[in-house]
Amino acid sequence: MHIIVCVKQIPDPEIPSAKFKIDPATKKVVPPAGVPPVISVFDERAVEAACQLKDKNGAKITVISMGQGKVADVVKHALSMGADDGITLQDSAFENLDSYGTAYVLSKAIQKIGEYDLVLCGRQAADWDSGQVGSILAEMLGIPVVTIARNIQAADGGLRVERVLKDGYEVVQAPMPCLVTVSNEVGLPRLPTGMGIITATRKKIPAWTAQDIEIDPAQVAPEGAHTEIVKLSVPIRDVQCEIVTGKDAGEAAVELAVRLRAANII
Amino acid sequence: MDTHKGILLCGEIEKGTLAPITMELLGIGRVLADKTGQELSILLMGSDIGGLGEEALAYGADKVYVAENPLLEHYHSDACTMVAADLCRKALPSILLLGNTDAGRDLAPRLAARLQAGLATDAVELDIDPDTGILVVTRPVFGGNALASVMVRKVRPQIATVRPKTVKPAEKDASRQGQVIRMVAEVDSSTLKVQVVERVEEKVEGVRLEDAEVVVSGGRGIGSSQSYEMIWELARLLDGAVGATRPACEEGWISMLHQVGQTGKMVSPKLYIAVALSGAMQHIAGCSGSKCIVAINQDPEANIFKVAHYGVVGDYKEILPAFMGKLKELLAK
Amino acid sequence: MSPVSATYWGLSGYVIFWVLFAVAFGLFVRRLFFLFRLMRQGKDENRFDNIGQRIRMMVVEVVPQWCNLKTVTRKDLAGLGHALMFWGFSFFLVSYIIFIGLAGGFGLAHVIEGTAFEKVFLTILDVAGVAVTIAILWAAFRRYIIRPERLEPSAEAAIILCTVFALMVLNVCVVGFNYALLDVQSSWPPIGAALAAWLTSAGVSQGALDAGYKISWWLHYVLIIGFMVYIPYSKHLHILTSPANVFFRSLGPKMAPQPINFEEAETFGVSQINEFTWKDLLDLYSCAECGRCHVNCPAQLSGKVLSPRETILSLKEHLLETGVAKPEAGADASAESSAKQMIGDVVTEDAIWDCTTCGACQEICPVGVEHVRKMIDLRRNLVLMQSRMPETVQLMLRNMQTKGHPWAGVQSMRLRGDWTGGLDLKILGEGGNDHADTLLWVGCTGALVDRNVQVTTSLVTVLDAAGVEFGVLGGEEACCGDPARRVGYEIQFQTIAEQNIEVFKSYGIKRIITACPHCYNALKNEYPKFGADFEVVHYTRLVADLIGKGTLNPAGGWDSAVTYHDPCYLGRYNEEYAAPRQILQAIPGANIREMERSQSTSLCCGGGGGHMWMEEKTGRKINEIRIEDVTSTGAETVVTSCPYCLQMLEEGIERKQLKSSLRAMDLIELVEKAIN
Repeated sequence: MHIIVCVKQIPDPEIPSAKFKIDPATKKVVPPAGVPPVISVFDERAVEAACQLKDKNGAKITVISMGQGKVADVVKHALSMGADDGITLQDSAFENLDSYGTAYVLSKAIQKIGEYDLVLCGRQAADWDSGQVGSILAEMLGIPVVTIARNIQAADGGLRVERVLKDGYEVVQAPMPCLVTVSNEVGLPRLPTGMGIITATRKKIPAWTAQDIEIDPAQVAPEGAHTEIVKLSVPIRDVQCEIVTGKDAGEAAVELAVRLRAANII
Repeated sequence: MDTHKGILLCGEIEKGTLAPITMELLGIGRVLADKTGQELSILLMGSDIGGLGEEALAYGADKVYVAENPLLEHYHSDACTMVAADLCRKALPSILLLGNTDAGRDLAPRLAARLQAGLATDAVELDIDPDTGILVVTRPVFGGNALASVMVRKVRPQIATVRPKTVKPAEKDASRQGQVIRMVAEVDSSTLKVQVVERVEEKVEGVRLEDAEVVVSGGRGIGSSQSYEMIWELARLLDGAVGATRPACEEGWISMLHQVGQTGKMVSPKLYIAVALSGAMQHIAGCSGSKCIVAINQDPEANIFKVAHYGVVGDYKEILPAFMGKLKELLAK
Repeated sequence: MSPVSATYWGLSGYVIFWVLFAVAFGLFVRRLFFLFRLMRQGKDENRFDNIGQRIRMMVVEVVPQWCNLKTVTRKDLAGLGHALMFWGFSFFLVSYIIFIGLAGGFGLAHVIEGTAFEKVFLTILDVAGVAVTIAILWAAFRRYIIRPERLEPSAEAAIILCTVFALMVLNVCVVGFNYALLDVQSSWPPIGAALAAWLTSAGVSQGALDAGYKISWWLHYVLIIGFMVYIPYSKHLHILTSPANVFFRSLGPKMAPQPINFEEAETFGVSQINEFTWKDLLDLYSCAECGRCHVNCPAQLSGKVLSPRETILSLKEHLLETGVAKPEAGADASAESSAKQMIGDVVTEDAIWDCTTCGACQEICPVGVEHVRKMIDLRRNLVLMQSRMPETVQLMLRNMQTKGHPWAGVQSMRLRGDWTGGLDLKILGEGGNDHADTLLWVGCTGALVDRNVQVTTSLVTVLDAAGVEFGVLGGEEACCGDPARRVGYEIQFQTIAEQNIEVFKSYGIKRIITACPHCYNALKNEYPKFGADFEVVHYTRLVADLIGKGTLNPAGGWDSAVTYHDPCYLGRYNEEYAAPRQILQAIPGANIREMERSQSTSLCCGGGGGHMWMEEKTGRKINEIRIEDVTSTGAETVVTSCPYCLQMLEEGIERKQLKSSLRAMDLIELVEKAIN
């Protein structure tokens, strides 16, 4: 089985809210100093899901990531978890793409890779939280898509996937090749083993440009974007928290109960 | 682009009735339709829809498309994509709204791809730009740390999924008139690539999160599933539901079904008690609709105090027993 | 005349003597050779450096029995008994060579018979015999009647004790019967002569005396060569191996694990017995089962699975069972021939994770067994090869990877540089600060955890008051890597170490002051292997010196009884016991009360070896036990100098609900109050 996992590098989503800053002009997040970007939470689970399949059924895992700067770091991270190959997609033409443009670039890269049985994506990138790229990518590749998976097993020549639902889950059988988007329920990502890290360090990660994957410039031109972010702002919270105190914790707790009762909340 | 007119909604049916999100879509759809002077239509997919088409009219739709097929009894990604895309190609709506639900999250991006349209998911605010008449969708990004406004200028339809419980639902007016169009839903099971094997409903212990008036949630600071028992106890005392942060679920202290947050449940109870959770934005996203948030945390700097109405700084293991003791006394009165 | 020269059932005594000896010696050598070959299966490790120092170390430790005497406490005097037995038996060993071997075996008995030398030596033996006998009886009484926790009432021990006792009795018998037989009139050696006098006065016949002499002589001889054969099969192997083990002891920093060479290694850590180094295997041979490690181990004291003694013994048993690999069967054959998995069957994963790396076992061990690095080697295999570890450890390591520090929860909502807010500091990399001679290294805990940030602030205040010039790294500071190394995630430790060394060099740093003993140990002892060459000082030493010089004057004093809790990584790991006490003594009014377990026998707070981030699921909480140590001194303040210890002690106080009567403070907070 050949699994392709698409991963994205994002500003650390666990930046404390108080430190979270944006630049309204460029509509971008300004990460605080000393906080390096990380692999998107759900994409890391997608790598984990791929590794689980590899552990069980044997598979070759190729990781691709589109981005700028140190994007190879996230690919390396995936390699150290157990992926076999990694490719970065780096080109100035790939900057500021919307979901549609991103899916287009990924689809071209996947077509260049050629044969595959399964494409995995995170259910959404933990920065813009759109949750579109996976499904659009599947449509572009013309393969079935199963979204928000919590478990993926090889079965009956295809895949048996559990999808997370509001009140439970749904089990579906999908043929291969197909695309599955992965949710955090799939399990905590494994810690890279020593061997994994060493292999990842030694591995060459090719960087493909727009030319390498035969991108149609019109498809990634800013004018061609389907969606446009017109404003980015940090919401103002006007909640004033009433801190309840007391001689000790117990007294504060009693006071809290009294106040909630007085305010008719309980 | 002028070829596309009107607002189309993708309604949802739950246990033979219109789902709450459908009423919410009709509510916001009506507002937008009135603002732009366009027609409001809604697509209902199911196996036996009965009189729900007429009911949708009563809730404000001008036109209802009814697509019936046994294969559509439950949401099926391939089938629904086919039917909805078909309709969009024929009806050519300018705006297409779905719920940001299990179904909508899955369907919307597939439609966006097939129709080469533009999509903004998880909208919490929808408005029409007065200059251009284009839909402006405001959606939380970066786990709720920021809000982004998105416009679709170049392509049609402009698609958005609406976060449940963020817009005002439509009110019923039985006197409203409109058209119910039964369409042929040509879905052949042989064309469906993905087969649904089974649907498993997992019963949540205690009160359902979505329905609860009181929700008590714990975070990573709780420390163990054993200690989580205290959260359950408080929830039982207040007849409320138990929630949890993503880390608490992932630690295995409680089932994933209790996860409150951006990728879990969205709750808006009267009272939300947040215990030993720091208040990561992706969690706050799931509970910020609560009328009153009470935070109990050891760290006075914790983010949760920035969104809470009442707060106690201290160890929950000391606070909760005293709190529950006093509550019992107060509730007994 | 020696009984060897007689003839028995037509056989010459000499033939019997030498045949018996040859058989026994053959068995003895065969066993030793087997053990040697087993040991050689271990990995290479150079312990042949500094031979002179090693010889000196061995002589100083073993001959005067310092190895045992250093373990003597008021409650445990056994070391004294061991020393008595060692010295006493040493004379007997010499006597066997002279009297039995040389004189008896070669028929030279007549040369020394009746000489003054014989008299003197026999007298010495007499006295030594008494000493050994007392030690034996005492040992037996302790082991079988008092039954201290650390000793097993084993059959093996009984055999040894009975044999040695019999040897002592027989020694007196040999002299007594011989003197009576030859009618030697002497009062020396006193006990032997007394027996002879009694035998004579009792009118025992010559024939009976002769028989008694021969029987006791041969019995003595048979027992002693039997004992020789028994030694390498029993825990008394340590008689032969422990001096060697002391000789080959690590001369480097204490408890430091060996760095893994990731360029070359194909497997990491240890999952099979032959993946230990030969010195690790020699450790197994050297264990005398004294159990001192067992009773000093915080895991064992708090009812966890781990016992350092049981671990060493199980490994030894496993090594012997596994046997020598057949060359043609390849390297893995030894492991395959044993159905047991070393991790799991021999040492359980729970035991491996129970270790707090406090080093109490290693510090007290009389024979120089290196327990801690074995635990880390086992963890390395689990973590680096198998990705098996408690979830809490995985979470901690993930945090180190993604956030650069091991803390989760509320601390993860903070940024490392936050603590510098509001302080007038020279932050390197900011405001054109690109150089500092001295760096104050705060550590993750001191930068991120509220309570410990207070301590960091106090430290800054004190250093400022003393006019010490220093820079800090603020947001650029990283973890020192210690938590990763102790849980076995060596690769991350090495990466971090190399990065940190780069940062130090880029700012031209020459001296580093650390607040945390774990950082101190890593930077000072473990970074040099990765190219570090900086002076590293823990604040306790620096502040003690500043007080000594009069730069700081803690005249403000402190009005309460205090006790000092030695952090393992400052005390046992770096033997810095004096500086904190010098500081306390310099603070007027600080009434110092030492805990019974202090300095080198101090009890771990329970937070070392990654345990700050692990759950203590079984048994009692280690920090509660430590708080009991504290309260038994009557101190109102427990002072320490480690951020982990401080947290653990405070938690212990809270657990025991002693907040109103006892508080935990960092030493620097005391200093800050006293100088103001």
